[in-house]
Amino acid sequence: MYLVAHIDQAICSETACRLCTQYCPEANTILYDNAAKTAFVAVDRCKGCEICVGICDDLAKHHAIKMIMITDLESPFELSKEGFRPEKWDGNHP
Amino acid sequence: MSVKNISITPGWEKYMTKEYLDLVERGPYGKQKKVSEMGSFKEVLEEHPMCAGCAMTLFIRLTMVGLPNPEHTILIGTAGCGRLALTQTSIPFIYGNYGDTNAVASGLKRGLEVRFKDQAKDVVVMAGDGGLADIGFSAVMHSWFRKERFTTIMLDNEVYGNTGGQESGMTERGALLKMAPKGKMFEKMDMIGLAQTAGVAYIARLTPTNPTRVASVVRKAVLIAREVGPTFIQAYTSCNIEYAIPTPKVLDDARDIEAKRYGFMEIISDEAKAYLDSIDTAKKAKK
Repeated sequence: MYLVAHIDQAICSETACRLCTQYCPEANTILYDNAAKTAFVAVDRCKGCEICVGICDDLAKHHAIKMIMITDLESPFELSKEGFRPEKWDGNHP
Repeated sequence: MSVKNISITPGWEKYMTKEYLDLVERGPYGKQKKVSEMGSFKEVLEEHPMCAGCAMTLFIRLTMVGLPNPEHTILIGTAGCGRLALTQTSIPFIYGNYGDTNAVASGLKRGLEVRFKDQAKDVVVMAGDGGLADIGFSAVMHSWFRKERFTTIMLDNEVYGNTGGQESGMTERGALLKMAPKGKMFEKMDMIGLAQTAGVAYIARLTPTNPTRVASVVRKAVLIAREVGPTFIQAYTSCNIEYAIPTPKVLDDARDIEAKRYGFMEIISDEAKAYLDSIDTAKKAKK
């Protein structure tokens, strides 16, 4: 089992800083839901490098991102299954 | 190499992969995307096999956002880490042999200028410090002396990361590496100085600590290379494997190196500056 980034959307939606989406080295991995104003993670693309945790804690000072076991996610968002469909994002991200 | 090539023949949509459909419908084509929009549009870079937390990957990802016309761009690379991600973009990629990237780019750019008179095509060379400063050195210098109109981007990780950690010309003096156990005995090559001597129109040195700045530098370099002359970007993209940087500290290291010795530097010729100003003026007039 391995760790993936997980974003606390209650904290994230209050800030809209979007820094983690810009500093993640993987393309389309931290996605941004414009309607719900929150970032969320496509777990199938996350390599667990923790750069976003450092960015959120030290640069943005929001402390919204934690590393969690992938098995602890009930319904993980996987980009390879869902596709990149922003119009379907309704704010209900795991 | 144009939006036409990327778009799908009507009726064939159901046979294409999800990723491809997303790229055609929600990709960055037609309008320059901003770094602040990342996460809300499908990027030209796909999943790739580069190491977790690699600063080079971050730089490449930001470069792809900075390209003014990804649909009219051709990338040229060579052996090295960078090509592992560059080949996973929806931009044509030419694998130059070690040493001839800039020679291939010279011929390609000249050919494109003859073939496509009414459409600017951008050629971007992206290779490592070994590919450009050591093995490809003579082709790089000569393309600059000949004032070939394309962009050269050096992914400077200061080591041969793909082959076990040999020192390169761009490694810092004294750096201890697996295959340089006594530490490097010579100074880091001054590629910026060499580029100035060769009369490169736009020279930039930066680290990926500021995403907006990376995208804007790449955009400027590609635009200037279209009309004015050769451009060169030297980017510090640490190798977290060979320099043993824990992945959560990769950006701390980049900030540290930036503050200590790398810095952000831009050298722009008068002609190139005038050209950029004319683009800005034309943009404002449109609004």
